[in-house]
Amino acid sequence: MSVLTRELKLSDLHQGDNLPSVVKHITQQEINLYAEASGDFNPIHIDETFAAQTPLGGTIAHGMLILAYVSEMMTAAFGKSWLEGGKLSVRFKAPARPKDIITITGKIDFIEHKEGIPYVYCGLESHNQGGETIIIGKATVKLRS
Amino acid sequence: MQNKNNDSLPIKFEQLVVGYEFPPSSYELKVSVIAKYLEAVGKPNKQNSPAVEFVPPMAIAAYTMTAVVQSLSLPPGSIHASQELEFFKLVPVETTINCRGRVAQKLNRGKLHLLAIELDVQNQYQEKVLSGQATIIVPS
Repeated sequence: MSVLTRELKLSDLHQGDNLPSVVKHITQQEINLYAEASGDFNPIHIDETFAAQTPLGGTIAHGMLILAYVSEMMTAAFGKSWLEGGKLSVRFKAPARPKDIITITGKIDFIEHKEGIPYVYCGLESHNQGGETIIIGKATVKLRS
Repeated sequence: MQNKNNDSLPIKFEQLVVGYEFPPSSYELKVSVIAKYLEAVGKPNKQNSPAVEFVPPMAIAAYTMTAVVQSLSLPPGSIHASQELEFFKLVPVETTINCRGRVAQKLNRGKLHLLAIELDVQNQYQEKVLSGQATIIVPS
């Protein structure tokens, strides 16, 4: 089993290959930057006083920020094929919080051809430093010819 | 990021019905907008990514989600439960995108509600560039 480290051709891909993992340190500053960039100013992400009074007990990262890290991994592995032929389905299992270290991982489950076009099916996971699952899901990439 | 045409008041969650269409929103994906997004998510390794030339699809998804959520008044404690996305076309920087959201499902689960919103994004040539579905858990 190998780790994929660049944009790949079909001949480079094998069932069981790991995608290049992405590790991110979550900070409140980054969450605030993401709120500015995305326009999502939900107080659960940026207002520490408000968030402390909710069942979550503190601020959490935007789910879409974590998906940006997933997409970074998929773009590194599949390049433009991901950007114009990617498909993603994930569930958010637990929140990512400031000071968390998040690791995004992926693995090729199988490769299938439909009408001569190769599709790569991947399993995706993200864990924090304590091993807690943050997201779990699947992605499909239609490979460019 | 500037929403060019959505300035209506938010609709309350209780008022939503399946099939409801949120006011469409339009964004011009200027270089400065994308630069801000890339700074926020941490710039990927340029050797591995062609994304500097093209808008990261997750940026488009994020803007679309924000447009929908800004049109909606959700109770505190609402959380993003799941997300489906499909990318159809490369989106060059400076493209104008048109975002639409529609209520696909609204279910009661005891003390919680599940709200599923379909997302659809086209470029200025009416070509589909992204679609998906967001599911939000809403407390009673």
